[in-house]
Amino acid sequence: MKPVRAEGLTKVYGEFTAVDGVSLEIGRGEVYSLLGPNGAGKTTTIKMLSTLAKPTRGDAFIEGYSVVRESREVRRVIGLAPQDLTADDEMTGWDNVYLQARLYGLSPWDARRRAREVLEMMDLYQVAHRKVATYSGGMRKRLEIAMSLVHEPTVLFLDEPTLGLDVQSRRKLWGYIQGFKRSGMTILLTTHYMEEADFLSDRVGIMHKGRIVAEGTPEELKSMVKGETAYIEPLDPLNLEEVKKALEARGFKVWLVGPRVAVEMDSSGEDLPEVMKAIEPFKLKSVTVSKPTLEEVFVRLTGQKLDESEEEPLDSFAFRRIVRGVRR
Amino acid sequence: MAKAEVLSRLYYDVDVLVALTWREVLKWVRRRAVLLVSISTPVFWIVLFGKSFNITSILSLPAEGIEPGLAEAIRRVLAARVVELFGTIDYFTYVATGMLVVFTLFQSMFGAVGVVFERRIGYLTRLLASPAPRSVIFLSKVLGTLFRVTVLSALLVAVAYLFGLEVKEGLTVSDVILAWLVLMVLGMGLSSLFTGIAFNVNHQEVLFALANLINLPLMFSSSALFPREQMPEWLQVVARVNPLTYAADLERYLIIGRPVEDPLAYWAYLLAVSITLTIIGYILSLRGMREV
Repeated sequence: MKPVRAEGLTKVYGEFTAVDGVSLEIGRGEVYSLLGPNGAGKTTTIKMLSTLAKPTRGDAFIEGYSVVRESREVRRVIGLAPQDLTADDEMTGWDNVYLQARLYGLSPWDARRRAREVLEMMDLYQVAHRKVATYSGGMRKRLEIAMSLVHEPTVLFLDEPTLGLDVQSRRKLWGYIQGFKRSGMTILLTTHYMEEADFLSDRVGIMHKGRIVAEGTPEELKSMVKGETAYIEPLDPLNLEEVKKALEARGFKVWLVGPRVAVEMDSSGEDLPEVMKAIEPFKLKSVTVSKPTLEEVFVRLTGQKLDESEEEPLDSFAFRRIVRGVRR
Repeated sequence: MAKAEVLSRLYYDVDVLVALTWREVLKWVRRRAVLLVSISTPVFWIVLFGKSFNITSILSLPAEGIEPGLAEAIRRVLAARVVELFGTIDYFTYVATGMLVVFTLFQSMFGAVGVVFERRIGYLTRLLASPAPRSVIFLSKVLGTLFRVTVLSALLVAVAYLFGLEVKEGLTVSDVILAWLVLMVLGMGLSSLFTGIAFNVNHQEVLFALANLINLPLMFSSSALFPREQMPEWLQVVARVNPLTYAADLERYLIIGRPVEDPLAYWAYLLAVSITLTIIGYILSLRGMREV
């Protein structure tokens, strides 16, 4: 039995279909990343898997329990670190973790023992007596994860675990996540950072407009992109079509990515001079060549860059809540 | 379900209820500024409001130009009327007991504000992702408020006593316990209602506006601050259905001995209203907790 199995999960809000028939399976001890821009439906998927939102259609099974019919059993076996910071910042780190343990029915004695364990694991024990409001962004994220681990869940959901963190704190957090994986936990995380999905995951599902448009190991996905891609940005955006036509005339596979023209090239380097010749007549702003990355896969699949995608309507307070305390 | 399973589930529910209620208490006690304000407010209210409106001094005005015997007679008649209306010659004693009820009302509202904040800081998400039953989450909010009401009203009575609250002769422990129960019954209904509303509101301003809309009329159309008998008739009708009236009158009956027609009927009415409000509040809460 796979610890996580989703079958056609769909969530419709009014006219808007946030998640459109997502099916996935995650094996024990596997790290699975949902990769996609804001608004792709990653958070809604996690909300349904963690029983916080009811699927409009479809169902998912966590350790065999249905999220629709057995939500209470599901809640017992999962750990969730939501995208928002959820710790009570008027209380100390210790109180937050201790109370969390008590919520899962641990006796006061066990709760104290377990709170100490997870705080030590996340290197927060030294600051546990301080109010959460005084924590740095990285510490707050670690506290969120500590709170998700008190009841020793077998399945862990991490929604954008490193959103808003600086590079150093992000790397540090990756180290912890690798540790959880080694201890046998099954982990589903969402991210819109390519390198995060690449670095941490056994498998990646690329989400776009509520669907999983591609799935596989990072290597499998990258092999979908042959060779390299050149991005050409003309100085005058009006020249975009002409540049595209000029390249197509020479038999290249070409498509538009925002203000740039993308060209698929073989990796031997033979194509590059040919491309340069084709675009000689135009004044250019920039030409960049990139090796196959998950980012390239995403661009090929969706015709969008990850950071250029349309934003979901996020109310400004929710955004501040996400970054509050993280960027300080 | 096997009996053992039911029992262990019940044990878990109670355990979580204890933990969550303890959190409410902890949060209240730890926020020293809020604690200080919420403790000093009732004290200021009864001392300033109760003492500044001094019927006793109004009655003892020198009656110039009136024959001393007649003045004394008028004074007696007035005093008798005041005692009839207020149950005491001292307005302070009247209002101090009514204030217990008013503070239960306000604490119920303040308690619910926490729910809105918990949604906004994201803590509610975590709470709802845990196996804690929704009913227990709701109940912990109500119990938190009842705890605050208990502490504050004990304090209120203590301060009022220092400032000259005249309790009835032969006040018994059971009178005090019953007086406390009145507040608990009232607080359960009111805080359930406000908690239910709070679970369906995204901005605390909405809750404050709503609370002002509900609280002030409820307070002034009850016998908490002024006796119902001297109100204009239309207001008396409102006061008659207002649960605060019944709670306030029962408090006075139990603490200062101001008679009520039928204490049992008062209890029955108060209980009925409170249970109705609790059910409404519970249903509203479940609705608000359905999705985050």
